[in-house]
Amino acid sequence: MPPFALTLGPVFFHWPAERLADFYRRIADEAPVDRVHVGEVVCGKRMPFSDPCWPDVIERLERAGKEVVLSTLAAPATVRERRSIDELCGDGRLVEINDMTALPARSGRPFVTGPFLNVYNEVAAAFLAGHGARTICPPVELSLTAIGGMAHARPQVEFEPFAFGRLPLAISGRCYHARLHGLHKDSCQFTCEKDADGLAVDTLDGQAFLAINGVQTLSNQVHAFCPEPSALAAQAVRRLRLSPHTCDMVEVAGIYRALLDGRLEPQEARHGLSRLDLPGTMVDGYAHARPGWHSVAAAG
Amino acid sequence: MRASLCGIEQRDCHMVAHAQTMNAELPAFVRRLSPAFAALPLGPALTLSLRALARRRPAVFERLGEFRRERYFIDPVDLGFAFTVVPDGERAQVSVARKGEAATCAIVIRGPLLALLALLDGSRDGDALFFNRIIAIGGRTEAVVALRNAIEDAELTPADFVGLDGPLARLADAGVLGGLDMARRLAAAAPARAGREP
Amino acid sequence: MMWPQRMELVCPAGTPATLRAAVQAGADAVYCGFRDDTNARNFPGLNFSVPELAEGVRFAHGLGAKVLVAINTFARVGEVDRWRRAADAAVECGADAIIACDVAVLDHVARNHSGRVRLHLSVQAAAGTPEAIGFYARTFGVRRVVIPRVLSVQEIAALNRAIDVETEAFVFGGLCVMIEGRCYLSSYATGRSPNLNGVCSPPEEVSYDEDADGMAARLSGFTIDRYRPGEPAGYPTLCKGRFAAGGKASYLFEEPVSLNAGSLIAGFKAAGVTALKIEGRQRGKGYVAEVVRAFRSAVDAVEAGGDAVEIDRLLAAQSEGGRQTAGAYRKTWR
Repeated sequence: MPPFALTLGPVFFHWPAERLADFYRRIADEAPVDRVHVGEVVCGKRMPFSDPCWPDVIERLERAGKEVVLSTLAAPATVRERRSIDELCGDGRLVEINDMTALPARSGRPFVTGPFLNVYNEVAAAFLAGHGARTICPPVELSLTAIGGMAHARPQVEFEPFAFGRLPLAISGRCYHARLHGLHKDSCQFTCEKDADGLAVDTLDGQAFLAINGVQTLSNQVHAFCPEPSALAAQAVRRLRLSPHTCDMVEVAGIYRALLDGRLEPQEARHGLSRLDLPGTMVDGYAHARPGWHSVAAAG
Repeated sequence: MRASLCGIEQRDCHMVAHAQTMNAELPAFVRRLSPAFAALPLGPALTLSLRALARRRPAVFERLGEFRRERYFIDPVDLGFAFTVVPDGERAQVSVARKGEAATCAIVIRGPLLALLALLDGSRDGDALFFNRIIAIGGRTEAVVALRNAIEDAELTPADFVGLDGPLARLADAGVLGGLDMARRLAAAAPARAGREP
Repeated sequence: MMWPQRMELVCPAGTPATLRAAVQAGADAVYCGFRDDTNARNFPGLNFSVPELAEGVRFAHGLGAKVLVAINTFARVGEVDRWRRAADAAVECGADAIIACDVAVLDHVARNHSGRVRLHLSVQAAAGTPEAIGFYARTFGVRRVVIPRVLSVQEIAALNRAIDVETEAFVFGGLCVMIEGRCYLSSYATGRSPNLNGVCSPPEEVSYDEDADGMAARLSGFTIDRYRPGEPAGYPTLCKGRFAAGGKASYLFEEPVSLNAGSLIAGFKAAGVTALKIEGRQRGKGYVAEVVRAFRSAVDAVEAGGDAVEIDRLLAAQSEGGRQTAGAYRKTWR
């Protein structure tokens, strides 16, 4: 049985360039992931800060044998943002498309679709494959079974369920970090930088519920889907995506690698994850066609 | 009362000014005069009316879908009794019920009689009544939504319920609607005249 | 049927009765859906059966109005045929346009029904740039795009200069604060969402619970808002709730207000917008008729060169007692 692959998705949060550089250095040297996404997905205003670090990061990752994917913006709006997508789509590496704006620019060359692009059925999957999609990371609300339905119908495309991290649930034109501080997106003062895993949003009754990250809304809880490898194989899925947080992502990758290699049972993997410094409790409802906040597999 | 509420916000409606009117209780003398409360078996009479409506307007009940088989507890707070209603078309059932029987029903709709009647004759928006806390709902919200949407589309008049037709219907419309309007005006004025009614 | 040069007023029709009310109140076009999850307002007791749609089309056409059918959810794996059949049914009923967002539906209509029905791109497709819109136009022959509510009037003007298709902008009603068609908040809490099921914050998961502090409006157990005794309540739409973040409680995502861009109608015309869309298929026919009448007068006034004061006066009744916003159309919304 060919091995399962692990992808490290793009960092959603506004980490300063030094933090990104340190993070990816460690990933390159120590993390058992096959593919690493780099680039800004959430907010074009952050790009001038992170842009300078990418060349070194990419070089370091590729030297360590990782496949690098350039991620693009999920909600490009300004002329500059649209142009940046155009430029990135001209690269020879794999590019991740997170908005239909990028499709015409990249069509005909291989790409990944991220969880911000709507792929809900085999026809949409085939359509994107026809334009060059090699890997599809579907919207997080799709169950493993639904993903498997697409994967079986379209074996020429690889499906990559979002398996770990706070779930990206929505994106807006309005910046919630700015709003919280009485500011607007145009003059936001980059307050989102303070919340490296997003800022927790509770209900009035103190229930942990959501988190904000600039224009993005995420779950507070951490999706931690730890399937039996055979369950993935049964759904024709051979790759999982892990989304970076401030916890030890090398450790996270190590746990998933062991799980996929059959060296760890799902329960042991969940237990290992629960001992890390996660930004929220662990859930996995979406993978099992339940509300996202449900925890179907008991926490280790 | 729900479906329209996605996006509706409480002050969207024009009913705030009328809330005080609607909140007033039905004056006792109106209760005695109203033909709906003659001392006849209400349950069977309403059951027959509802079934007759279903024969004339099957689409209304078809629109209810699966919720036509639910038991709705309709509770006018200013009457000493309530109704259980299963709006299952030609198998519909209406019974007079005690207040305590709400637990036997999957849906509860509670409010002043005027408000509940206004929902039926379409003169008041169910969403507005709910948001202004004039009527209260409990139980399966989706069943209330289905009911609200079915009534919305049906464009019912009181004649539909009394089971009359033709010229009698026009008389009934004028009579009951006029009676309702009168009752509302009286209800609005009632606080000022408190203590002087028989 | 001719598509007019003056701005078109596109109005919601949740039921046959509301369709008639909207058309009689002056709608140029009405939009509606079938009674299932092929449309994004899939609520109990709402929407049209196939015979009802056919009758609605006859009624509307008889009064010179068009009917647009929303097949604007994403088809489910292995069930794509249901969405195709819905599109076929809409065409058979004589619909003037199909509003869609899923590639599967767009492709089916483009291949099988082009020439018989127009394709409009739903706001659920989240196509807000010239590149994205142009792609849908070239690939599927989309003739009009409903633009996301996150664009300002200036951005809409720039967009219209850069694309060849018509634009339809929301002008009144409920406001989605997240980019439509890419929001999973509802399924996170309830398991059901616009993309998966055609619903947001579904009523099955709503509860109003009285306690010592008043009433809590909850969705799948998550408290979305609280009301003091007697305080007017609202529906617990997720993104309109009050939450605690950074040590303070507030309407973090959006106030529970309605969109009213009536005062911007002239601005929309100048920006090249073809059609103005009123949101609210779940609203009652009385409300819809009132709103449509007001906007009919306002649009007619703008088309005749009327000024803002006149329009504000006409729409004042709709704002009375209501809390309104012009939303993202003014850049300060961000």
